[in-house]
Amino acid sequence: MIRKEAIAIVVEKIGNQPIISANGFISRDLLEVCDKNSNFYMIGSMGLASSIGLGVALKKMKKKIFVFDGDGNVLMNLGSLVTIGMTKPKNLIHVVFDNSSHESTGGQPTATNKIELSKIAKSTNYKVFQAKTKNQLAKTFQKIKLIPGPIMVIVKIKKGGVVSKRINIEPIEIKDRFMDSLKK
Amino acid sequence: MKELTQKQIFNYLFNNGIENFVGVPDSTMKYFIEYGLKKNKILITTREEEAIGIAVGMSLSQSNSLVFMQNAGFANSLSTITSLVQLYKIPIIFLIGWRGFLKNDAPEHTKIGKIQPKLLQTLSLQSKIINEKNWKASCNWALKLIKEKKSCTLILKRDFVD
Repeated sequence: MIRKEAIAIVVEKIGNQPIISANGFISRDLLEVCDKNSNFYMIGSMGLASSIGLGVALKKMKKKIFVFDGDGNVLMNLGSLVTIGMTKPKNLIHVVFDNSSHESTGGQPTATNKIELSKIAKSTNYKVFQAKTKNQLAKTFQKIKLIPGPIMVIVKIKKGGVVSKRINIEPIEIKDRFMDSLKK
Repeated sequence: MKELTQKQIFNYLFNNGIENFVGVPDSTMKYFIEYGLKKNKILITTREEEAIGIAVGMSLSQSNSLVFMQNAGFANSLSTITSLVQLYKIPIIFLIGWRGFLKNDAPEHTKIGKIQPKLLQTLSLQSKIINEKNWKASCNWALKLIKEKKSCTLILKRDFVD
């Protein structure tokens, strides 16, 4: 499964619920798969998707907040897992698309095939689920519907695949429409 | 800055709509943080960039935040300020402790203490030095900017050496 296919499966399962998506190819894929006002596309500030997601989750406790992250992003801000584990937001679902590489910068390796991200997440109070196939991924999202967070879903994806277009929405517009969607 | 003033600043900001205080501790503002912790209004993060990310998420949810840090952490935060806070025009009040303000402060603070005013200027991040006399006016200035959806910085000088 490539990242764009995985994103399409997850998006179909979560509908119009808010997504904070990490900079790089993840946001680009999400934009092409399903652009919605409730998608907050990050452009810069690599590593901070889960922090932004935590901020939203702590303030919008009645909504489920999804974070679309990459393995490189998570490793860059492991401290965020600690703060999420400390604050334990029941409404936060952290989806990590893991291809053990910094694909957006040319496919350089990350350490997720040498360490166990799932163990790190478990030790910071996440409930962790892993999916390697499309079928497993769809089932996982069915399964976690009624489970309180923080939840991490690690989705193993293949390196490579299609390259989606750059984010062509102005940052201010991304912000304004996301804020409007949160009011509803 | 005196303990009482730091508590007053906390209360004043809190009573005027700043709902979240997120950051990494600095001894320059330790009374401010201690007081906020007692009131259960402080979230301490592992790094400053993380604190800014959380504050941005809260701001997107219509809840105003102050992010506190030492100037060492301000140096850590430059990319997050330019590519998140400023790129998306997110209103946040930064409270930054100015280590290296005194010449005889510990050596690790010398360089950042010296370049801090220019860094703020280069970033076009509006700032005011907050003190015993002007604290209320400075807070009002910051609160006004937040209402106008602009970010700004309050600087607290480290005017003692321990």
